[in-house]
Amino acid sequence: MMEDKIAIIAELSRGGFTRATHEVISFARELGSACAHSEIIIIPGKNIRGLAEEIARTSGIDVIGIEAETLDLYSAEPFKSAILDVLKDINPAYVCLPHSAMGFDLAPGIAVDLGAACITAVEEIHEDKKRICFSKSMWGGKIRAELVSMTQRAVLTVLPGAWTASVEEAFIAGSVRMVKANLALGASEITLMEAPGERESELPGADVIVSAGRGIGKEENLEMIRKLAGIFSRGAVGASRSVCDLGWLGHKHQIGFTGKTVSPGLYIACGISGAIQHISGMKDSQMVIAINIDPHAPIFNIADYCIVEDLTEFIPALLELVEISR
Amino acid sequence: MNRFDEFALEEAVRIGEEIPGTEIEAISVGPGRVVSTLRKALERGAAAGTHILVEEERYMSPFETASLIASYAGTGHYDLIIAGVMAEDDMHCQVGQMIAAILEIRCATSVIHRGTIREETSVYIEREIEEGQRLCMEVALPAVITVQSGINRPRYPSLSNVLRAKNQEIRTIDANDLWDDDGRDQLISMRRPEASAKGVFLEGGSNEKARALIRILHERALI
Ligand SMILES: Cc1cc2nc3c(=O)[nH]c(=O)nc-3n(C[C@H](O)[C@H](O)[C@H](O)COP(=O)(O)OP(=O)(O)OC[C@H]3O[C@@H](n4cnc5c(N)ncnc54)[C@H](O)[C@@H]3O)c2cc1C
Repeated sequence: MMEDKIAIIAELSRGGFTRATHEVISFARELGSACAHSEIIIIPGKNIRGLAEEIARTSGIDVIGIEAETLDLYSAEPFKSAILDVLKDINPAYVCLPHSAMGFDLAPGIAVDLGAACITAVEEIHEDKKRICFSKSMWGGKIRAELVSMTQRAVLTVLPGAWTASVEEAFIAGSVRMVKANLALGASEITLMEAPGERESELPGADVIVSAGRGIGKEENLEMIRKLAGIFSRGAVGASRSVCDLGWLGHKHQIGFTGKTVSPGLYIACGISGAIQHISGMKDSQMVIAINIDPHAPIFNIADYCIVEDLTEFIPALLELVEISR
Repeated sequence: MNRFDEFALEEAVRIGEEIPGTEIEAISVGPGRVVSTLRKALERGAAAGTHILVEEERYMSPFETASLIASYAGTGHYDLIIAGVMAEDDMHCQVGQMIAAILEIRCATSVIHRGTIREETSVYIEREIEEGQRLCMEVALPAVITVQSGINRPRYPSLSNVLRAKNQEIRTIDANDLWDDDGRDQLISMRRPEASAKGVFLEGGSNEKARALIRILHERALI
């Protein structure tokens, strides 16, 4: 049987498509031109006809909307079963999802059920000897690995931020087909809540953010991070997830994929390795300075100024010089 | 031990403290060296260790790892299988979900909070999702959960556990006896990513770098 489709599973949040969904569409277009397959967007959700029509119009891609009461907030069982029903129908060569809390929750299970390969957090694609190779980060971004699918089908998740959402509108709208999901009622109750302590953060208003990573070594060394932030008129202290998990700083300081997204004039990363989940939260900073003892730390790949030093010696020396030069 | 697995193990130990009679077994797939990781799991409170032995040192796709664990776990009666949200090395974020799919049981990933376990029928969990939000739900048991860092504070091994772990036997199972099939994806290359061209490495001794940095900050009117 000919398999000539690339299915895109759209993700909704707060009444619209997530940015990551638009990025997956860009990814799927690139994949589609590499393998001459056409795309199709699948939207599971509740009351989604309007959204389905909107995305069909702007993207020009055909859309299947799956409607059900239980597809309001995400949970694995109803979503997986509704999506699989449609996928078995269209029999796509590729299924693409964002590498989000929904996407990575769903993708491996879908792959198992379809007998497909599963390649997650894809950052790049290219063709090599007629095969399509998918690149992704390993070892916290220190290694770039290339994987290929060994089966007819593959389920892929696309790293947020790796592709840009297209702003162009299509000339011809895609078609829209709405289907009702055939789901058993009484699915378990799901509620959405704000993580504790999310609101009161000073990070959004800061011109300069000095961020502490696990490399600060111990909680007491936060003092030098605070002092460094203090030399700027609107400086604030940020942190990697590791530092918050250790309890050295509250989670409202956390920057990244599961924390705050910031874009200050200056971002100083102190003892932060530069894991992709951290970078995704600060890569739009106007200037990045990184202080790290390891010359191969991935944070240096995105920094404007790289300082290979032991921060426990470098920062106090720096603070002293600032003091003198005042 | 993978940092995410430290959180997973700690969560298991906590369940053990809440529900007397809970048996905690640590399972690891890999070559001989993973035995030392299993010993660390015993030191941190696992009661038993099982090593699924894969002879050669090679890339294991998540599907292979999950198939082996599911094949082994399918023979036991596990109420809960806990994994880390991802492995720190290959960062796939897949094994737990695949185990659940193969065993046809429930699964929830990125769990940042676990509540009470109700009469061995369900567990309350909160999944961490984007934008500082959480999805809260009851998950029917048996289930797989993958835990996010920060769900707990892993404790240090106790002396008595360290002593026990030293001599305790670790069960070894040959991977070929569990599952013998092909992976569905293949690793074809690994390299260091190119550095971005724009970055400037400040040169000289520590003091010169500090001076250069201050100059840059002045030039940009940041201080
Ligand atoms: C689903 C998911 C979501 C995530 N969300 C986030 C998120 O929102 N934000 C986030 O930050 N992470 C997040 N993470 C975790 C992320 O993958 C990394 O584990 C984390 O960012 C690492 O933090 P780190 O850089 O502080 O620590 P490490 O990776 O341990 O790095 C420490 C660095 O300090 C350097 N160092 C050590 N000593 C010194 C010294 N004396 N002087 C200078 N440098 C030194 C080391 O060379 C190293 O580069 C997430 C992970 C997952 C799976």
